[in-house]
Amino acid sequence: MKVIYTDVLIIGGGLAGLRVATGIKGRGHDAVVLSLVPPKRSHSAAAQGGMQASLANCKMGEGDNEDVHFSDTIKGSDWGADQEVARMFVHCAPKAIRELAHWGVPWSRVHRGDHAAIINAEKVTITEKDEAHGLITARDFGGTKKWRTCYTSDGTGHSMLFAMDNKAKQEKVEVHERLEAISLIHENGRCYGAVARNLMSGELVAYVSKATTMATGGYGRIYSVSTNAIICQGMGQAIALETGVATLGNMEAIQFHPTAIVPVGILTTEGCRGDGGLLLDKDGYRFMPDYEPDKKELASRDVVSRRMTEHMRKGKGVKSRYGDHLWLDITILGREHIEKNLREVKEICENFLGIDPAVDWIPVRPTQHYSMGGIRTKYTGESQTLKGLYSCGEAACWDLHGFNRLGGNSVSETVVAGMLVAENISDYLDSDESHLTIHTSNIEKFVKIESDKLDALLTKEDGEDAYVLRRRMEEIMMDKVGIFRNGDDLQEAVDELEELCKRSKNIEVFRSKSRAANPALVNAYRTQKMIKVALTVAYGALLRTESRGAHSREDYPERDDANWLKRTITSWPDENQLVPTVSYEEIDISKMELPPGFRGYGKDLTKHHPKTAEREIVVNAVKEKLEAVGESRFEIQNALMPYLDKLPKKYRAINERLGENI
Amino acid sequence: MSESKKQRVLKISILRFDPHDPEDFPHMETFEVEEADGMTLFIALNEIREHHDNSLKFDFVCRAGICGSCSMLVNGRPTLACRTLTAKLDEKFTLAPLPLFELIGDLSVYTGKWMRGLNERLETWIHDKEEELNVDKLEEKMEPALADEIYELDRCVECGCCVAGCGTAKMNPYFVGAVGLNKIARYQLDPRDKRSDDDYYELVGNEDGVFGCMTLLGCEDVCPKDLPLQSKIAYLRRMMLKNTL
Amino acid sequence: MRKEKIDKTPARLDFLQSFTGLILALFITGHIMFEASILISNEMMYKVTIMFEGYYFFGEKYPGIISFLAAAISVIFVIHAGIAMKKIPSSYRNYKVIKNHIQGMKHEDSSLWMVQVITGFMMFFMGSVHLYIMMSQPSDIGPFASSSRVVDEFMGPLYFMLLISVVSHAFIGLYRLAMKWGFMEGKNTKVSRARFKFLMKAMIAIYIVVGLSSLAKYTYIGMTHDFSDGVKYKSQTIKMENH
Ligand SMILES: Cc1cc2nc3c(=O)[nH]c(=O)nc-3n(C[C@H](O)[C@H](O)[C@H](O)COP(=O)(O)OP(=O)(O)OC[C@H]3O[C@@H](n4cnc5c(N)ncnc54)[C@H](O)[C@@H]3O)c2cc1C
Ligand code: HEM
Ligand code: SF4
Ligand code: SF4
Ligand code: FES
Repeated sequence: MKVIYTDVLIIGGGLAGLRVATGIKGRGHDAVVLSLVPPKRSHSAAAQGGMQASLANCKMGEGDNEDVHFSDTIKGSDWGADQEVARMFVHCAPKAIRELAHWGVPWSRVHRGDHAAIINAEKVTITEKDEAHGLITARDFGGTKKWRTCYTSDGTGHSMLFAMDNKAKQEKVEVHERLEAISLIHENGRCYGAVARNLMSGELVAYVSKATTMATGGYGRIYSVSTNAIICQGMGQAIALETGVATLGNMEAIQFHPTAIVPVGILTTEGCRGDGGLLLDKDGYRFMPDYEPDKKELASRDVVSRRMTEHMRKGKGVKSRYGDHLWLDITILGREHIEKNLREVKEICENFLGIDPAVDWIPVRPTQHYSMGGIRTKYTGESQTLKGLYSCGEAACWDLHGFNRLGGNSVSETVVAGMLVAENISDYLDSDESHLTIHTSNIEKFVKIESDKLDALLTKEDGEDAYVLRRRMEEIMMDKVGIFRNGDDLQEAVDELEELCKRSKNIEVFRSKSRAANPALVNAYRTQKMIKVALTVAYGALLRTESRGAHSREDYPERDDANWLKRTITSWPDENQLVPTVSYEEIDISKMELPPGFRGYGKDLTKHHPKTAEREIVVNAVKEKLEAVGESRFEIQNALMPYLDKLPKKYRAINERLGENI
Repeated sequence: MSESKKQRVLKISILRFDPHDPEDFPHMETFEVEEADGMTLFIALNEIREHHDNSLKFDFVCRAGICGSCSMLVNGRPTLACRTLTAKLDEKFTLAPLPLFELIGDLSVYTGKWMRGLNERLETWIHDKEEELNVDKLEEKMEPALADEIYELDRCVECGCCVAGCGTAKMNPYFVGAVGLNKIARYQLDPRDKRSDDDYYELVGNEDGVFGCMTLLGCEDVCPKDLPLQSKIAYLRRMMLKNTL
Repeated sequence: MRKEKIDKTPARLDFLQSFTGLILALFITGHIMFEASILISNEMMYKVTIMFEGYYFFGEKYPGIISFLAAAISVIFVIHAGIAMKKIPSSYRNYKVIKNHIQGMKHEDSSLWMVQVITGFMMFFMGSVHLYIMMSQPSDIGPFASSSRVVDEFMGPLYFMLLISVVSHAFIGLYRLAMKWGFMEGKNTKVSRARFKFLMKAMIAIYIVVGLSSLAKYTYIGMTHDFSDGVKYKSQTIKMENH
């Protein structure tokens, strides 16, 4: 048995994982990163649009600061987010982006003087300040009050990930590529690393560590059409779930992106609409202003996706053999703009659709895009229930996003959470608690279990075909746990998934029996795990009888704060159970800086919690009092909901901004 | 696009070999797949894996031409398979793994390992003498045009097509390839990287670097990201020469 | 950051390779045009020849100048070929590798390189012969002398091969030179490359046509002229002072 010891095992080499590894190395500890693919190929590279940070450099971002970013994020989350976490996040986002700038990301910069932009289908001229020339610029994104989304042309995630990976190489972070974590090693409520399978040789390796970080990204591929990379299969969530100890949060919160191309589901960035692109129906009619007169195409993602679906249901969709779709029109932006700022979009249109977006409209429809749910953690990034297991990035439910994530907040989350988690883990490693106490024989036991499972898959006879089960699962999720949900469909989905879960225990790997690189074997064990993840999503959605953010129930259209202002927590304590165990975590209104309110889309259907009004009074009173004596926004904020003590000391200082704190 | 149009049956010949199987040897195997509208090699290969041979090995990650995982030889030319529409190919075509890189099996090659070696060798990160950055302060300014120019070169996805398409790389295994030269051009352009021209010369001012390049331009013509490789290699060459005067 | 001195040789060799290539190419473009003066008239060709022999500067002919020029070119030629040797596949294995690569890729520029290597190789032999003759018998240049060499000394076939190879090699070389150093690169490098490539092909075609025509003319003269009173050309306009 091969055992590798390290201080910290980081599972996942995307932005989040690499940031953690770099930070830990910086603090003088050892780290090993496991990744399914070379880190630069991780899904983070696909983020085109941008990263939110309230720098307020560009003209349209003037007046932006942490407070505005905070309120956008909370509203976007439909009050599902953890407000302290959101505060920590908005405070650190400018720091994270400046750090990345230092590490080599070629952020697009402000150019002094006039430039043309398209806002609300009209050409306008924006004049940038002299003193902002050369600072990081930003673009408009859905659901934000200010232009806050920083970008590098249309390859933000790519540039960030490359800079991050290069930095990690500089720090000599050890990365073990093409290694897949297939189970966590844990004992007495503490995690001690993972069993991993070498995807090239098939060898099983035990990684034993004082702390383990799960940064494995999202689980979009449980849906048949998704914008996600095909490795976003929720393996991190699954192996955490299979410990029976760690819990997952808000798994039913799934975001659909309004503009993925039909049929393949490749994303065209929100930047298209941010820069002035329009959504049109089969008559070429711009319908969004009818639904959302205020924000129009730039309403929050969940809202736009639902409006598009509604409009298609009215028969306004364009018919095609792959089902209905709508048009995204960016021709009005002009060829020059498209070729410079939306080149990736242009390439995608040319290569996958054979059209020229400077002339033709792009066929789009809402498609699965982001997983708000994930491994539930404390604000420190540590699992609430499994000590020594940390998680960050899309894999986690740190709960920055609640029930809907704002575009540009997730790559931002990966690096912010990464830098905080690195500090928290390092502190833990510096303490006596972190000593390894697990016995080798127990490590061996975990390896043996996995080895036996693989043998079973390879030797089983008359078993099930994993591909069949998986395709069925994907279809169920797509048809019954999609943008609009209802009790009947969800019940059917859960029932059928349960059946699939049972059948998945009987999977057989046909013909291809190699233990080394063997795609059929990989598909077999991943399918078993994915079905469990799908069940947490479908079951959570079935139980949540309200509509909040991206979770939209036709039979319960109102947001119900009175009963549902809480997080869904799922776990799988008994290996033999077929549906997850569900409990709930209350969200405490009396601690909120921004008490629940109306998000401002459509009709206000919210059923308010009795405590909301109370808290509003308190908040307003504090604000008035402190404003009257001329306290700064920082003082007021601190009086309402202190959070700085939760941050590592090195990240507590106030951010500089043009015209503020300089 | 008409529904009644008869779809072609593609005959896809794949060069197969499993280095983990002591009995296997490199051989061609042909699969027949019915074409569908908008079919890419990603779709076609998955169809083969799902319905014909579940042991067929290949690598896709983003399947959107972004991550650089899926480079292979299509009719002898290196390209990204995921964004190759079958409609642009003849009914019969061949697929082979990218040469020069470690073969994992069938069409799956380990380009990432080569690239890691390259990155470490050329130290493709910002070299900075300064103390730790104060992240609370305003970021350092940069000319917008320069930022754009750097991004233009930063777009490389390390897919390895330029290496597989380069005769020099084939003859000289130590050659850094257009990907390496492009990276040096990128960092040389970046004012944040404080390396001197002599430092860069030390890295690529030799036969394994820019002076090994024979300007065959295979790189430029196969790069899926359309990077200005010819122009940047020429630039490096001029710069390196100037440095010796 | 660094202590050691850098080794400047690779840069210099690379430059020298290109520089010698450029000189040779410029020489050859001129050379073929001067030879083509025969197409205008024998008289014209004669004038061009004695011009190179310094007649218009010194009032008399010094064939040694031609020897000197030929020697200079030979030196450059040798340097150029010598450096180029480094680029030529050094083993059969490498030759196979590059050949398979080029066949598999079906890539024009890579194939052009192969053309350059092959033509370079051909010139290595034929060019040497030609240059040697020019150095050793410089006074034997002229409308009749040259024609006689083409026909009676059986240099015709060699000149034919030399012409084809030198023209392709030189213009492909110049194209490559432009690509290699980014010469006259436009904003859109794809466009400037396409233009250079077109120019290269056009020049190859023009020079081969011109070169073949002159060769034909020399052959014609060689076949029809009566060489009974020697190969010396008697000009109608220029009377050499006796020597
Ligand atoms: C098309 C698209 C565009 C997007 N655009 C934006 C945008 O503009 N702005 C924005 O903020 N967000 C955007 N997002 C979201 C954002 O990109 C992701 O949320 C974020 O990059 C996730 O980063 P991560 O580090 O958490 O995970 P990932 O980058 O997904 O990395 C996961 C890592 O885990 C590894 N891994 C997974 N499972 C295992 C295992 N079992 N064992 C070992 N390793 C494993 C993988 O190899 C990989 O290295 C976009 C998402 C998509 C799909
Ligand atoms: C009259 C004779 C010749 C002329 C006009 C000529 C011209 C050129 C030119 C302009 C180049 C491009 C230079 C560069 O790429 O840097 C070149 C390259 C080359 N030449 Fe020649 N050459 C001549 C003779 C030869 C001979 C005799 C050989 C071989 C024995 C030769 C072999 C090569 C090779 C291999 C290259 C490619 C080198 C590279 O790509 O860097 N040439 N030549
Ligand atoms: S120009 Fe030719 S030799 Fe140089 S890197 Fe590109 S393919 Fe290789
Ligand atoms: S330079 Fe182009 S071909 Fe080469 S690795 Fe980068 S993207 Fe691929
Ligand atoms: S799969 Fe990512 S580029 Fe092809």
